Amino acid sequence: MMEEVDRILIHSLREAGTDIDEDVQSVKQFTSELIVEAVVKCLRVIDPALGNGLSHSLPPGMSARFRLGMSLAQACQDVGFKGEIGYQTFLYSNEPEIRSLFMFLVEKLPRESAEASDQPAGKSALLQRAIAAQIKEQSSVPWLPPSCRLPIHRKTQSSGPCYSFHAQPLSLPYSVKVSSRKQPKDVQEYWRNYLLPVTAQPSQHASVPASLLENHISELSATQEWESEWNSQGLLSRLTPEEYRSRKKARLQKRIEEQLRAAAQPRPDTHGATRSTSDLAELLQSFGGASTGGDVLTKGTRFTHTEKFTFTQEPEKAAQQMAAAASALPSSHQSEEDLKAQQEAELSALQQQLQQLSVQMEEVGGDIKQLTVSIQQVSDELQQKEVSNGEKENSIKMKRQTIDLLPDTENNLLKLQGLVEASSKRVVHLASQWEKHRVPLIDEHRRLKELCSNRESESSRKLSEIKDLHDKIRQSAEEAKKKESLYKQLLTEFETLSKDVSRSAYTMRILEIVGNIKKQKEEITKILSDTKDLQKEINSLTGKLDRTFAVTDELVFKDAKKDESVRKSYKYLAALHENCTQLIQTIEDTGTIMREIRDLEEQIDTENGKRTVSNLEKILEDYKAIRQENSALAAKIREG
Amino acid sequence: MELSESVLKGLQTLADPNVFDLKSFTTFTEVAFDSLDSSRGESVLGHPELRHIDQTTLKHCHTAATTFILEGVKQNADKSTISSCLEDVRFQNERVDTFYNSFQKNLESLLSSTDTCPPHITDAEWRLEYCYKGTFHVHKVNQPSYLISLNTERAGASSEINFSCTMDQLQDLVGKMKDAAKSLERATQS
Repeated sequence: MMEEVDRILIHSLREAGTDIDEDVQSVKQFTSELIVEAVVKCLRVIDPALGNGLSHSLPPGMSARFRLGMSLAQACQDVGFKGEIGYQTFLYSNEPEIRSLFMFLVEKLPRESAEASDQPAGKSALLQRAIAAQIKEQSSVPWLPPSCRLPIHRKTQSSGPCYSFHAQPLSLPYSVKVSSRKQPKDVQEYWRNYLLPVTAQPSQHASVPASLLENHISELSATQEWESEWNSQGLLSRLTPEEYRSRKKARLQKRIEEQLRAAAQPRPDTHGATRSTSDLAELLQSFGGASTGGDVLTKGTRFTHTEKFTFTQEPEKAAQQMAAAASALPSSHQSEEDLKAQQEAELSALQQQLQQLSVQMEEVGGDIKQLTVSIQQVSDELQQKEVSNGEKENSIKMKRQTIDLLPDTENNLLKLQGLVEASSKRVVHLASQWEKHRVPLIDEHRRLKELCSNRESESSRKLSEIKDLHDKIRQSAEEAKKKESLYKQLLTEFETLSKDVSRSAYTMRILEIVGNIKKQKEEITKILSDTKDLQKEINSLTGKLDRTFAVTDELVFKDAKKDESVRKSYKYLAALHENCTQLIQTIEDTGTIMREIRDLEEQIDTENGKRTVSNLEKILEDYKAIRQENSALAAKIREG
Repeated sequence: MELSESVLKGLQTLADPNVFDLKSFTTFTEVAFDSLDSSRGESVLGHPELRHIDQTTLKHCHTAATTFILEGVKQNADKSTISSCLEDVRFQNERVDTFYNSFQKNLESLLSSTDTCPPHITDAEWRLEYCYKGTFHVHKVNQPSYLISLNTERAGASSEINFSCTMDQLQDLVGKMKDAAKSLERATQS
C-alpha cells in the first residue's frame, strides 16, 4: 500500500516542478538533495514569498547545509507542519518522517482543478463562456495594419461588407391555412410556372437569409401561439378548431366595424369632413355587405346609376354624332378657328342635351316614386277590405243557421245542450289522455337532462385531465431538453479535462482498500469474540477447578485423619495441584514473553528503517568536516 | 432545433425516395447550397436533373431546405443535432451524410455579413498646435492642443475622422480606451 502512496506523492511532486528520475519509485530512494529540491519547489508553489528565499540545491559546505536545513525546517513549520522537524529531517532523513512531511506538503499544494470543474450550467452561462472564449481567441492574435493582413485575419480584423437586417415578405409555394389541393387553379398554375424560388425573390441577395429566417420564425411563433391559445381557451369552448377560428374571426370583424363606425360618426364640430365620412360609410357598408352576401353590386350608388343612364344613351348619340362628323369632315377644308367654333358649338349642344335629359330623368324618378307609394296604399286598403269581408260572411252564416233552427226550438235546444255536454265530455277525456301522454314524456325529458349534465361534468373532468397531461408533457419535454444540454456540456468539459492521472484507478484503489479494511475489521471482531469465549472458558474452568479442589481437599482431609493411605493421597493431591498451578503459570509467562518478542522485533524493524547507523556515520563524517572547516577558517583569520 | 411544420413537410418530401432519387437529391443539395451562397436568380432550379419533379413540390422543398440550412448555421449546430433532425424526418443515412458534408461550406460569412459595425480604425496621425495670444491683450493664452486624424476603414472604403482636443481631453480619451481594454480582459476571465 505504501507504493501507491509513494506513487501519488512522486507524481504530485513532479507536477510541482521537481525533477525526479524515472526509476525513483518510492520515498525510500530519495537522496538528501532530492528531498531538499522537492521541499523547496513545493514551498515555492504553496507560498512564493517563503520559497523564493531558499535555494533548491544542497550547497557543498557543511555549515551552509546546516543553515539550509534549519531554514527549511523553519519554513515548513511556518506553513503549518505540526510534527517534529529540524535540520536532521533533511540531512539525515528516515523514511516515515519524510513520507509524512511530503504528504503534508502535497496536501497544501493549491488545487487548480477544483475551480474549473464547478461551473454553473445553464444557457446564459454557456453563452457567456462561449463569448469569453471567442474574445480570448481574437485578442490573442496580434493586430496587423491593413497592408500586412493575411486572409486568415480577414474574418476578425477587417470588416467585410455589411448589410443591415432587412427582411422582405416572401411569396411561398404553399399556404399554411388551405391545403394545396383546394387552391384555385390559377394559384396552382402560378406556383408551378411563374413563382420565383425563394432565394431569388428579395431584391438584394443579402436580404435572403434575413427574409427566410424571419418567415420561419413568424410561422413558428404563430403555431406556438395558436397551440397555447387552443390549449387554454379553445378546449374549454368545446368547439372544433375550425368553428373556434371562424367565431373568433367574426368577433374581431364586428369589433373593428364598431370601432370604425364610432370613429366615422360625423362630429358636430367638424364641417368639412363630410366627404371622407361618406366614403368611410360606404366602406363600412361594403363590410356589412360582404357578410350578407353579395348585395353590393345590386345596390350601387347614385353616381353609378347616373353613369349607367348617361352611358346607355351615349352610344346612340355618339354613333349619330360620329356619323354626322364623318359626313361633315370630307366636305370641310375650313380653317382651324372654324373647326374649333364648330366643336365648341357641338359641345354646348351636347351639354344642353345632357342637362335636359337629367332634368327629365329626375321628373320621371319623382313620378315613379309617387306611383309606387299610391300602389302600396291601395293594396293595403284592398287587404283590409278583404279581411272585413271575411268576418262579415262568417257572422251572416251563423245568423242564418240560428234562424233555421228557430222553428223547432225545444228539440233543437235539447239537441244543442246534448251536443255541448258531449263536447265538454270529450274535452275532459282528451285532457286525461293528454295527461297520460305527458307524464312519461316529462320523465323522459328529466332523464335526458340528467344524462346531459352528467356528460358535461364528465367532459369538463376529462378536459382538466387533458390540461394536466399537456402540462406534464411540456414539463418533461423541458426537463429532457435541459438534461440533454447539460449532458452535452458535461461531455465537452470532460473531454477538456486533463487525463494524466486516472481517477478511476484511484477510486478502485480506494474501494479495494475500504473492502480490505472491512474484512480486517470482521476478522478482528471474530478474533475478539473468540478471545472472549476462551477467556470465559478459562474463567469457568478455573472456577470449577478451585471448587473441585476445595471439595476434594475437604473430603480427603476429613478422611485423612483416620487413614494413612488417605493422608498419602492427600499429599499427592496437594502436590498435583501445586504442579499444575505452576504449569499454568509457566504457560502464561511463555505467552507474555512471546508477545514481548514480537513487539521487540517490530521495534527492531522500525529502527532499522531509520537507517540510524548510516546516519550516525554520516553525522560523524560531517562533524569531522565541520571541525576541519572551523580549523581552516580559524587559520585564515589568524593569517589575515 | 425547432422547425415549423411547413419546413418539416418539405424535408419529409425531400426524404421520400419516390420523389427524389439519390442522384436528383445530390443535385438538389448542391443547388440549394449554391442558391444561398450567391445570387443566381430564377434559373437556380432549372437544372436538367430536377426537371422531372413537380415544380411546386420542388419550390416547397427548396424553401424548406434553405430555411433548415440557415437555422442550422445560425445555431452553429454540430453534427449530432443536424443528423438527429434529419433522421426525425426519415432521411436515409447516406442522404444525411451528403447533406451534412455540404454544411462544411462556410455559410457563416453569409450570416455574419448581416451586421452593422462601426468603421475600424487603422491608423492615426497627429499634429501639435499651440495657441498664443500677443502681449497686447491682458490674458495670455499659451495652450497646446492636438489635432488628431484617425484613418478608418469600413467594408474596404476608408475615410477619416478629424478632431482637435486639449491635453486633458486626450488623457481622458486614452484613459477610457484603457478602461475598455481592461473590461474586455475581465470579460475573458469570467
